Amino acid sequence: MTEQRDSSFLSSSVPRRRDALRLLSAAALGAGAWPAFAQDSKRLPRLVTVSGAITEVVYALGAEGQLVGTDTTSLFPAAARATPKVGYMRQLSAEGLLSLKPDAIIATNESGPTVVLDQIRTAGVKVEIIEADHSWGEVQRKVQAVGRAAAKEVQARELQARLDAEWAQVLLRIGGAKGRKPKVLFVLSHSASPQVSGEKTAAHAVIGFAGGVNALSGFHGYRPMTAEAMASAAPDIILTSTQSIEAHGGVERFWQRPELALTPAYKKRALITQDALLLLGFGPRLPAAIGELHDKFRAALA
Amino acid sequence: MSQRFGARAVLGGSAVLLVAAFAVGAVSGAYAISLSQLWNVLTSLGQGASGQSPEHLVFLNIRLPRLVLGVAAGAGLGMAGTLMQGLFRNPLADPGLIGISSGAALAAGITIVLGASFWPMLPRTLGSWTLVLMAFGGGFAVTLLIYGLSRSEGGTRMALMLLAGIAINALAGAGLGLLSVMATDEQLRSLQFWLLGSLGGARWSAVILVGVAVLLSCWAAASLASPLNAIALGEAQAALLGVDVERTKRRAVVITAVAVGAVTATTGIIGFIGLIAPHWVRMVAGPDHRIVLPASALLGAALVLAADTVARTVMAPAELPLGVLTAFIGVPMFLLMLRHFRGRV
Amino acid sequence: MTAAGHGALACASVEVRIGAKRLLANASVELAPGRVTAILGPNGAGKSTLLSVLAGQREPTQGRATLDGRPLSGHGMPVLALRWALMPQESAVAFDFTAQDIVALGRYPHRRAPTRDEDAIMAEAMALTDVTALAPRILNTLSGGEKARVHLARALAQLWHPRPDGASRWLLLDEPTAALDLAHQHSAMRLLRAWAARGVGVVAVLHDLNLARRYADEVVVLGAPGGLRQGATADVLQPALIEAVWRMPCQPVTGADGVTQYLFG
Repeated sequence: MTEQRDSSFLSSSVPRRRDALRLLSAAALGAGAWPAFAQDSKRLPRLVTVSGAITEVVYALGAEGQLVGTDTTSLFPAAARATPKVGYMRQLSAEGLLSLKPDAIIATNESGPTVVLDQIRTAGVKVEIIEADHSWGEVQRKVQAVGRAAAKEVQARELQARLDAEWAQVLLRIGGAKGRKPKVLFVLSHSASPQVSGEKTAAHAVIGFAGGVNALSGFHGYRPMTAEAMASAAPDIILTSTQSIEAHGGVERFWQRPELALTPAYKKRALITQDALLLLGFGPRLPAAIGELHDKFRAALA
Repeated sequence: MSQRFGARAVLGGSAVLLVAAFAVGAVSGAYAISLSQLWNVLTSLGQGASGQSPEHLVFLNIRLPRLVLGVAAGAGLGMAGTLMQGLFRNPLADPGLIGISSGAALAAGITIVLGASFWPMLPRTLGSWTLVLMAFGGGFAVTLLIYGLSRSEGGTRMALMLLAGIAINALAGAGLGLLSVMATDEQLRSLQFWLLGSLGGARWSAVILVGVAVLLSCWAAASLASPLNAIALGEAQAALLGVDVERTKRRAVVITAVAVGAVTATTGIIGFIGLIAPHWVRMVAGPDHRIVLPASALLGAALVLAADTVARTVMAPAELPLGVLTAFIGVPMFLLMLRHFRGRV
Repeated sequence: MTAAGHGALACASVEVRIGAKRLLANASVELAPGRVTAILGPNGAGKSTLLSVLAGQREPTQGRATLDGRPLSGHGMPVLALRWALMPQESAVAFDFTAQDIVALGRYPHRRAPTRDEDAIMAEAMALTDVTALAPRILNTLSGGEKARVHLARALAQLWHPRPDGASRWLLLDEPTAALDLAHQHSAMRLLRAWAARGVGVVAVLHDLNLARRYADEVVVLGAPGGLRQGATADVLQPALIEAVWRMPCQPVTGADGVTQYLFG
């Protein structure tokens, strides 16, 4: 084992032991251990976050000074929009990411391409991937991962505790509410054809948390919205994102969709809209979002 | 047509353009690498892996494989474009006519949208190679189908190939449309990015495979240059000059399928290079395939490199998809060519 | 029909059918090198078809064509390309090849064994058909007659040198004079006679009876009652036959040079 001199990459003065393989043979095999770039214990790690919710966690921890780049879905808070953008989360650029000289990248498992993440990893950047399983655990993992990566574990634990308490409180309130659970159907329509969400989606989980029942079941993921499916699902409430409404050109135009005309929700114009990132991002604002959603459910049923 | 430059001038000029494009691409990128740093990287290559600065790693493992992939992609597309134009005896022909791009796109679409549900085992065994192999297989299969449909007694008829190509391309397009409707937002985005083409995420293993495929294809294509000249007189006349027209067609189709299939499977769809590069070469060198074939490969490589350099620097740290840029250059060029060839097509 | 001798180009009982249409029926000819043979007949009689069968371009549905007594398929196209050249009736050339390029393609069959005077061959061939000045012009921009002369030069270039084994050479021409102006028509026919005199077998589909009468040693007339007729020009091209085949009253006239020509109408 040879001691590797650290690079000028992080202006570090603390060398670290690492194995060194021949560069080209390692590259040809598509694998290989590269010397890691040492972390300066005096300087705070530079972060790149890929996913709006993870960016929110960084701001919640007060670590936004360490944020050097975000992806295009990172739109909250407003300051996040001004950070350098590394592109869409599924189409990241290796050189682009490395040019920001990050120490760590935190992303969900939906980010890619995987080859680019591998390249980042072998360049010595810490890559934290969070499994997006639409549970409260996902939020917790995000907080922990950001805390680790930002070297702010203490603050992360505090934030975690606070969020856990909020979450427990909101679940209690929802659990104690009486009355029947409304059948809610989530419509996603940022692009041309509207889709509705079945099980194993963020929307499904959110509806359940907020005290509703997904009007659709029996399939995973998203399906195109059809009139018959809507009629047989018979949702009491239509839930959608503000971006979807904008894409339609307003609430009125949205209600003009023929598929919605046969639903109970249509008769009462029971529509709830929320910002997509807030609703589905599974970030630190989730407890507040769920609470708000629950209240809107009750109001719509009343 | 006014002046024609000689073979040496054209080939030399294209080679110079390629080297220049490579050099510019080597020093450009989102990650700043100065010339002196680059020099250190190159000189340390000979000494083995010692003193690996981050510039070293970024250049050798991210930028250089991408440059090499760009060369291979452009060369394969330019060469294949020339073959197709010679085969169809029409300067507006393009490898897409025989279905490679649409077949690869359809296979990619199937993998992206349906892969997880129908063949979950596949990604596990093939890993990140799943998409590449499926796309290559799809392109090759569709090309074989179109080739088969164009055979009649007496050989392969190019008019039939053209019609079969149009029909199958339309079918693949419809298939892709169906897949986009079935796809979730995420899958749709992935598919869209694949269709727009990109040299990003190039790994040495993939790059070397594509490079070898293109190299072999170009080498095999060299022997088709003279026969294609004769075929310009018409297939009947070429046969009377002793050209084995059937064999030439078959080889051209297979070479195109292998080269363009390998490239498309790795990079997605990069359009218009196969159309523009041979056209520009013919404008300065005349239509002799013995010059146009190698020069189109060189020029195609230079064009792809140039476009990719723009794609990865103009919006840094994000990237533009390569296909967007080649379309922006390609479509006006295509329209200009239509005007130019109005009387002769 | 005598037995096909050495060097002879022949076909026996050939029929060419496409679907239900019969382009050529029961055609048998035997052609010897060193002569100019004209294939004549009204439109639709199958002149071009016969030529393409003899050239190996078209497979007859019945019967077969032979060279030196062997079927054409036995020789193989690359070998045949060294012994004969076909000048087509029309030929659309793709891309902007120049006249020079086209004539150079005539040497394609010889690319494996080029002689020392490849450039000289092309230059002389172009001089023979008077297209030297057109060499740098793009073929597709030339007039019909100029294109025809370029293709003729190409065919000549292809056959330039006698074969080392003494095998017969053949010039097959499909309406070579159709697009040419008057002066070039005659100079082309004289050129063909000169080549025939050197031992090349010249077979030309002609539509102009007078040209055939003046320049051809032998004619093959298609569409005659009773089938194909082959023989010496003066013997076969009698007014009675002409009127029967072409359905035009015909009056032979002998010119000052002693050559018979026909007046029609």
